[in-house]
Amino acid sequence: MLRIRDASVTFPASDGQDVHALDHVSLDIPPDSIVVAVGASGCGKSTLLNAIAGFLPLTEGTITLDGREIVAPGGDRGVVFQKDTLLPWANVLDNVALGLKYRGVSRGERYERSRHLLELVGLADFAEKPPYELSGGMRQRVGIARALATDPKILLMDEPFGALDSLTRETMQQLLASVWARTGKQILFITHSIEEALTLGTTIVVMSPRPGRIVARFDADFVRDFAEAGDIGTIQSHPRFIELRQEIRSLIHQPEGARKGTLQ
Amino acid sequence: MTLAANSRTSFPTAAAQRRPSRRLRRAASASTFGISLATLAALIALWFLAAQFGWASPLFLPSPADVLTQFSAVAADGYANGTLLDHTLASLGRIAAALGVGIFVGIPLGLLMGLNRWVKGIFSVPIDLYWGLPPLAYLPLLIIWLGIGETSKIVLLSLSTFAPICFAAQAGVRSVPAERINAALSLGASRLQLFASIILPSALPEILTGLKIAIGAGLSTLVAAELIAAQSGLGYMIMSAANFLATDVVFVGLIVIAVLAFAFTSGMRWLEHRLIPWKGKL
Repeated sequence: MLRIRDASVTFPASDGQDVHALDHVSLDIPPDSIVVAVGASGCGKSTLLNAIAGFLPLTEGTITLDGREIVAPGGDRGVVFQKDTLLPWANVLDNVALGLKYRGVSRGERYERSRHLLELVGLADFAEKPPYELSGGMRQRVGIARALATDPKILLMDEPFGALDSLTRETMQQLLASVWARTGKQILFITHSIEEALTLGTTIVVMSPRPGRIVARFDADFVRDFAEAGDIGTIQSHPRFIELRQEIRSLIHQPEGARKGTLQ
Repeated sequence: MTLAANSRTSFPTAAAQRRPSRRLRRAASASTFGISLATLAALIALWFLAAQFGWASPLFLPSPADVLTQFSAVAADGYANGTLLDHTLASLGRIAAALGVGIFVGIPLGLLMGLNRWVKGIFSVPIDLYWGLPPLAYLPLLIIWLGIGETSKIVLLSLSTFAPICFAAQAGVRSVPAERINAALSLGASRLQLFASIILPSALPEILTGLKIAIGAGLSTLVAAELIAAQSGLGYMIMSAANFLATDVVFVGLIVIAVLAFAFTSGMRWLEHRLIPWKGKL
């Protein structure tokens, strides 16, 4: 269980007016859930993820994972970045096995586990290729396999499909849903796409900028259908889906003054 | 109707636009080897003609045949206290020693300067200061301090190869993408693992570029230093020959240096191809 309590991150700005990237955010990510943070750019969703990953210190508040406070990056939290961060000098298999190598897992065992994960993401035939010979979608799949290889407690995904074309994106969403259904990992997923948030999230938190905070949260269940039956068209035309999409859209597009009014 | 017509007419346009770009791509990727070889042949032919028809006095431009004869004479009997091989080995030994110092001191120090604020703070000022000086300007000082022998020349050359390698290693460390480091940390890398598996390989392309610059700087400093103060080496041989207006021997020396420089460049290209085939990708 990941617990975020009153987390704030403040950046000093050159004009003296501090930027409140994250303002007293509290959130729980229970096991077996996909929490999706959605919002316009600048709403603090990536800041939140970076703080959980340990890349960024909190100004105030605490984040704990299974009771242990997070102070630095660590192997218990797997991260998938928007831009793939694979090592160009290592082949796909060695990239996936990197975290296991850091842990001192023997060569045979880490390759066996990595091959298994490459199968899970449908890239078993590409194990020996260098990453730069793969397409963007394939590289992102390698990134997911790499993050899963060390069996982290939570998977943090920062707009991982944001740079992909829409067809590849749907395939990747499908893949993530089925990986989640099979592994039961807790996942924090960041996106600016409302459709993606609703398709993948068991919980959707809507964030707003200046200061970055959570303005609403919804529970959804489309991802289970998606993982089983898998037709994105049917899911996205469900009346409840359309209703929620409209509601979230109006929350995100509300003028800042009006939103503050409704909160107070 | 209009839509269909539009899409049909757009086809040849697209093809026409693609054609020049494909030609450009071919020009960029195709080998220029044949063209370069033809240029070389034309230059040599011009040299033959100039010597043949006496466009310039042999004192200024010896004929290719004279240079070739002199080449075998210098190779066999020697010139200025040594055979051609002796002079070449003397020069190569100096540059190898200097590159060794540059690599074994410059790379570790540069990496440390990239990683640690204190190391960078301490060493960047002295390196910046002397790197701005032309090596030949402080050669007299080195001769006063270290004498006329090998030491002063190797120190001079080491100083000229060290700085570019050190700067390159430092820049290499700083060029590692922050996300790559974060990714490794979130996979559980220790500081040592981060350095060995991420920072060092990421810095390698910059280090090799620095090495190329160092070879160039070393070679030009080498010959210049040998022109001024030496008893052996290609530079010394050229200077001795020039004093006796033996222009053909000067040519022999220049050709050997050109071949050496070409060999170094080719070697570096081969090394880059072997070590960092991924450069510029991803």
